[in-house]
Amino acid sequence: MISVTNLSKTYEVKRRDNFWTFHKEKIHAVKNVSMRIEKGEIIGLLGINGAGKTTTIKMLTTLLEPTAGSYSFDGIDAVEYPQKVKKEINMIAGGERMLYWRLSAYENLWYYGQLYGIQNTVLKERIQSLLQMVGLWEKANLPVESYSKGMKQRLQIARGLINNPNYVFMDEPTIGLDAVITSELHQQVKELARKQEKGILLTSHYLAEVEELCDYIYLLSNGEMLIEGTKKELTDYVFTRKQCAFSVKGMDKQVEEKLFAALREYDTEGEISEMDKGVLVTSERELTAFLADFALREGYVIQELYQKEPSLEDAIMKLSKEAKQ
Amino acid sequence: MGAKVFFATVWKEFRVRLHAYPISFMVSCLTTGIYTNLGAWLMYHCFFEGRLSSDFSLYAGTGDYMSYVIVGSCTYLFVVRTCLNVSRTLVTELREGTLDSLMLAPFHRSAYFLGNMALQTVTTSLELLISVLIGLFFGLQIYHFSPGKFIIAVILSLYGFFGISMMLGCLMLYTRNTYITQNTLFSLIFLLCGITFPKEYLPKALQYIGALLPVTDAVDLLRTSLLGGMTAEDWSATAMRLFVLSSIYILMGFPLMEKAERIALEKMEG
Ligand SMILES: Nc1ncnc2c1ncn2[C@@H]1O[C@H](COP(=O)(O)OP(=O)(O)O)[C@@H](O)[C@H]1O
Ligand SMILES: [Mg+2]
Repeated sequence: MISVTNLSKTYEVKRRDNFWTFHKEKIHAVKNVSMRIEKGEIIGLLGINGAGKTTTIKMLTTLLEPTAGSYSFDGIDAVEYPQKVKKEINMIAGGERMLYWRLSAYENLWYYGQLYGIQNTVLKERIQSLLQMVGLWEKANLPVESYSKGMKQRLQIARGLINNPNYVFMDEPTIGLDAVITSELHQQVKELARKQEKGILLTSHYLAEVEELCDYIYLLSNGEMLIEGTKKELTDYVFTRKQCAFSVKGMDKQVEEKLFAALREYDTEGEISEMDKGVLVTSERELTAFLADFALREGYVIQELYQKEPSLEDAIMKLSKEAKQ
Repeated sequence: MGAKVFFATVWKEFRVRLHAYPISFMVSCLTTGIYTNLGAWLMYHCFFEGRLSSDFSLYAGTGDYMSYVIVGSCTYLFVVRTCLNVSRTLVTELREGTLDSLMLAPFHRSAYFLGNMALQTVTTSLELLISVLIGLFFGLQIYHFSPGKFIIAVILSLYGFFGISMMLGCLMLYTRNTYITQNTLFSLIFLLCGITFPKEYLPKALQYIGALLPVTDAVDLLRTSLLGGMTAEDWSATAMRLFVLSSIYILMGFPLMEKAERIALEKMEG
């Protein structure tokens, strides 16, 4: 079990005032974060850009030393003995880094395997089964620079499993990937946790991704833990707000006012905001049926009506507002 | 486990650096050889105009300036190549986006750096061999080749260059700058370490600074093992001093490198 208590990280950066002088500035990237990860679980760390997700992951992977707080790994003090922890963990990041582009997929995995001191016969088998798992076995001898984005990302997954780690940290692994590859990756993440019993910490700024994958969710904002819980527990706070894009033929201010009145009757907290075409309706209650009904009743012809994914920014705004009250 | 990392790194560097560009490597070998010797030849004919002051052979241990400067230049080439590539490895990993994934693994840094150094030594030796062949054409003459001394000199020199590489590597990683850092150091080495002229020509103060760089002793040892000129006692004393100096560099370099690594990982955004 991985358990971190009050982990904090403060970066110190030099800001130049002019050519000769500079001052030091402290950036409190992560503040008093506590969390737990068990084997076989997928834990989500949710937050918008700059929330401190990467910093947290880098501390947990021993790449960064925490400024304060403690981090224990199966009872071992991970800050004190990073070498012991390194054997049991690995990390997969989004984007196209962490691979040698001039080497082939096989060579990449072989080199990383050597760094972990894996026995050659074991390593050979593992490379083959990992490359087969991510569907790159046929292309194993091509240089990575000739790979597509999706292939590189899959190779990264294989790299992240080369030492057969018990815990895998994934930092926005689906960033920049298209929908098909993303859902493939989601499938693999689930299998890693369910079948191979690995503990997974996954960061993301997509609500839907965490909602689909994670057993337990932490929400990070400005380096602080805003809220945590299972998906069920968080549903009221994070996932409930429904949003619908809506427009009808001949939509004008008058129509909008009518709609707003009807919406407030339906949900006293409902809101409407302008979009480039039509409006965006937000409510805690089911919207599609309500909007269709409204159009029918008033005799409008619907041009657009679809449910939008709830956005993380909205959830955070709502939560921060509630926290202040 | 150290051996695994060592050989794997030799192999990886070979694949990454040479395998990709075998032809440009061969071309660069040839051009380096020609430039090195041409430089020496120009030094001789333009600066010294073929006349050498009488104290040259006293300081240099030989009256043959062409051979003196070719051996010096070759050593310089060796230093530049080794230090450049070994010290740059981590910065290169940083730039190529593999520093994170490298540092995730629990391996011995020394084996990694030695692997880099070994590959670099082999490739530079190839380059040097070509330089020496071209040097023969330019008038290089080896008077007093003493194989035993030569081997010891080479081993000690490599040890020293490894030490310099570690220190330079720290500086590069810390400043994230390879260009200014390396060129400052290489200029210092070129001017202060007796590469193209005896260091005794320099003011005393500069001689002291030069003595702090292991290259000064290395070049003396190598030159003597090829061209002769030093008493056996002087030779042993210089060898001892080079060993001690290099050890200090290495002993300081490793912990500093660890610090530099940590700073590099902290500075990295994204
Ligand atoms: N190496 C660094 N040096 C200084 N500040 C940093 C560094 N890395 C991140 N930060 C800052 O720390 C905060 C958190 O960043 P990060 O952990 O990358 O967030 P996220 O991954 O959630 O986008 C941001 O304000 C960012 O600018
Ligand atoms: Mg990030």
